Amino acid sequence: MISKDICLKVLEAASKTGADYAELFAERTVNKSVNMLDSRISAVNDRVIAGASVRVFKGLRSVACSTIDMSEEGLLKCAKKAADALGEGTAEISIVLRERLFGDIHPVKVVPSGVGMGEKAEILKRAYFAAKDYDPKIVQATGSLLDGDRKILIATSEGIFAEDRQIRTRLSISAVAEQNGERQTGSCSPGTRKGLEFYSEDVVPENVGREAARQALVMAGAGYCPAGVMPVVIGNGFGGVIFHEACGHSLEASSVAYGVSQFAGKLGQQIANEKVTALDDGTIPNAWGSINIDDEGTPSHRNVLIENGILKSYMIDKFGGRRMGMAPTGNARRENYSYVTTSRMTNTFIAAGTDTEEDMIASVDYGLYAKSMGGGSVNPVTGGFNFAVNEGYMIRNGKVAEPVRGASLVGTGSEILMKIDMVGSNLLRAQGMCGSSSGSVPTDVGQPMIRVSSITVGGR
Amino acid sequence: MDYNAFKELVVRAAEAAGLKDYELYYSAAESTSVSTYKHAINDFSSTLEGGVCFRTLVNGHMGYASTESLTEDEAEAIVKRAAENALLLETEEPEFLGEGGGTYRELPKQEEALPDAAFLVRSVLQCEQMLYDEDPAVIDGSGATAGTESSTVAIYNSRGIDLQDSRSVAFFYAEAVVSDGEKMSNAYEVKTGITEEHMKEAVSKSVEEAKQKLTAEVAPTGSAPVILSPGAMRSLLAVYSSAFSAENAQKGLSLLAGKEGTAVASPLVTLVDDPFYPESLFPRAFDAEGMPTCTKAVIENGELKTLLYNLKTAAVAGRKTTGNAAKAGYAAPVGIRPFTFVLKPGDKSEAELLAMADGGVYVDELQGTHAGANPISGDFSLQSMGYLIRDGKKAGAVKDFTTAGNFFELLKNIRALGNTAEKDKFAGVSGFAAPAVLADGLSIAGK
Repeated sequence: MISKDICLKVLEAASKTGADYAELFAERTVNKSVNMLDSRISAVNDRVIAGASVRVFKGLRSVACSTIDMSEEGLLKCAKKAADALGEGTAEISIVLRERLFGDIHPVKVVPSGVGMGEKAEILKRAYFAAKDYDPKIVQATGSLLDGDRKILIATSEGIFAEDRQIRTRLSISAVAEQNGERQTGSCSPGTRKGLEFYSEDVVPENVGREAARQALVMAGAGYCPAGVMPVVIGNGFGGVIFHEACGHSLEASSVAYGVSQFAGKLGQQIANEKVTALDDGTIPNAWGSINIDDEGTPSHRNVLIENGILKSYMIDKFGGRRMGMAPTGNARRENYSYVTTSRMTNTFIAAGTDTEEDMIASVDYGLYAKSMGGGSVNPVTGGFNFAVNEGYMIRNGKVAEPVRGASLVGTGSEILMKIDMVGSNLLRAQGMCGSSSGSVPTDVGQPMIRVSSITVGGR
Repeated sequence: MDYNAFKELVVRAAEAAGLKDYELYYSAAESTSVSTYKHAINDFSSTLEGGVCFRTLVNGHMGYASTESLTEDEAEAIVKRAAENALLLETEEPEFLGEGGGTYRELPKQEEALPDAAFLVRSVLQCEQMLYDEDPAVIDGSGATAGTESSTVAIYNSRGIDLQDSRSVAFFYAEAVVSDGEKMSNAYEVKTGITEEHMKEAVSKSVEEAKQKLTAEVAPTGSAPVILSPGAMRSLLAVYSSAFSAENAQKGLSLLAGKEGTAVASPLVTLVDDPFYPESLFPRAFDAEGMPTCTKAVIENGELKTLLYNLKTAAVAGRKTTGNAAKAGYAAPVGIRPFTFVLKPGDKSEAELLAMADGGVYVDELQGTHAGANPISGDFSLQSMGYLIRDGKKAGAVKDFTTAGNFFELLKNIRALGNTAEKDKFAGVSGFAAPAVLADGLSIAGK
């Protein structure tokens, strides 16, 4: 993308005013999408994202400048801007770039850019019509098939000169069911860090459509969820969003380094029920949130965050690590060159436990079974979080009863982690897009089925 | 190369490819921001970003392609890609490019120069110090961020539209983190225009709010009269503005489909879309198709007067566009959005509203609308913060409860509106303004 010689010149220009660290990040990403609505291909789009950013540190100060001008002149101008913003000083570091080769642990068989949009449209149609034809009550559906081919280059004054290519694809179907003049929705959106072989080897497109339609139909027949504090059993897979929101964001250096996290200064202490072990693992082959190297050139890791309830590790980027006096953990990520990199999750999940699904449901006299979760959000300072239940059922006398709609779960991370008192064995991960200060990045959430002994359920 | 040089190359490539109907949409932004931590500059960032979207009509279908790489090769490549993408489309509705020759409202020019980086640095350090000085409960992690943003949008098409608009803004926000030794809480306040007076206001408001949150208890569960603050009502309007899109209505994705000319809200409700709203930082005389914009009542005294249209949906409905074509980023397809969606204020002071809602809950803030509010069904169940209303006054602060209901029912159940509308402070082209609203039929779930 950019020659080693030019990278060196840019880093030298950036560190001219006394930076103790300089970094060049360059990117060329091609995103393609095909969309369906009303049983027709409604949009076909592609977008080239191309730009670079120069970042310098001096002690606990960071300056980042980005540009879309990737010519040598443009990059040098960007570097000078960063150096000038850092202040007055003289060069203090000498830079030698060494090519770093990282093994690619995410093999791709069918590179999406080598496949015509027409072929991708056929995959999407299989999923779409499986949803649309599922039941006469399905009155509308939308669908998309996305693929991204992200090439990044990172050169730093520490000597890193590394490139990586991240190929991903995702199929999303959303179905709308109508009953008695009311409309409810269901959705299913599997994704992967591999090529289009995903749709022949791992996921049957028709099943994606059917799942979205099934969920919409169940919810169309459902009454409102009653409100109150009750035990909740949360299903596996996307249910892991509870950990992502209630805990994951509060373990990122972006809040821990500044002391504004409920879990700052608690390494080695019990912060969760002893049944809870949780990991952030960017090294899972072909997983949606996986990376070979992060956006600062650090190899991705398998980090145990919580082990049997004890806080073991945070997720740390280089700048956050400076304040914390800790090494980066391979979690530095950004949506693209125009965002400033910070600590983010990769594939974050609660590890499998030993409880059975039957025992968990049977243990609840009156409560909620949140089979499928939607998204959520958190304030890392207070730990206050919320998330939506996409498919929920009441549990009565130890049995799954009628479906309920419109439920949400709210609480405080530190409290909820202590209340996860049963953990099943059926670990499953699911895909999402996580939004934070460095933009929207692909992450996996995950968990086996768990039981939370009591939580506030919003409903009516 | 710059946009104008790139535009010429694209036009040449489009003509060479025999394309008759095409359009370029360009948007770019230059922004700078500075923030503090513990009495020092923590980070400084400067961004130069932008891209070009090319779209063209081939066999009646509109193909799109976009790029941020303004090079000679890309100029030819996006023309080719857009034409290829058009061939795959199966839509039946006719597509249009805007015709030139319309009359556009003259917008006031921006005279003031943006502050430079040195001023931003001084301002954030000063603002942070004011936070620490405001109250002993303020702890490290509190800070200020200030920045500037200049953005440009340009549309050029083969039908004679050639428009450009540039706007810039300077902003800052103060974030207070407070602690009582055990718990922490935070609040922030955004302002545009970096002045000492604004800083004082932002500092005292954010510290006061953060301290109130510190004392918050979990709210009791029940169904009671609810006042939604201007901010809470804006959050709902932002989610449910998509229901007013004619595109969603025509595709069966809005419950307002077919309701034009009927009552959809309490007679107290008037909702206006205003591209020239005085407080808007980004007033617009043209929409994303280059058509002139206008102010219109969407709901008037409870009756749905019109949905929001662009050229395509207007043609399907056999009417004129309302000038609401919009793009969510330069590369996005043309969709529909309001400019400033204004829920018109009513005649009640805050004291009068509180007296009417005695025994109820004042919902100050709603969170998680991206997940907990369904734009199609209208159902929402959202994490909230606020106050109990006792003896006609805001009593104890409450947190970690949910406010649940259905937006379309809420519109009908509005019993009174406050007498001042407040606009979101730092919105882009699409923004929202609302007064406090007293509504029945909402459920509160806490302990």
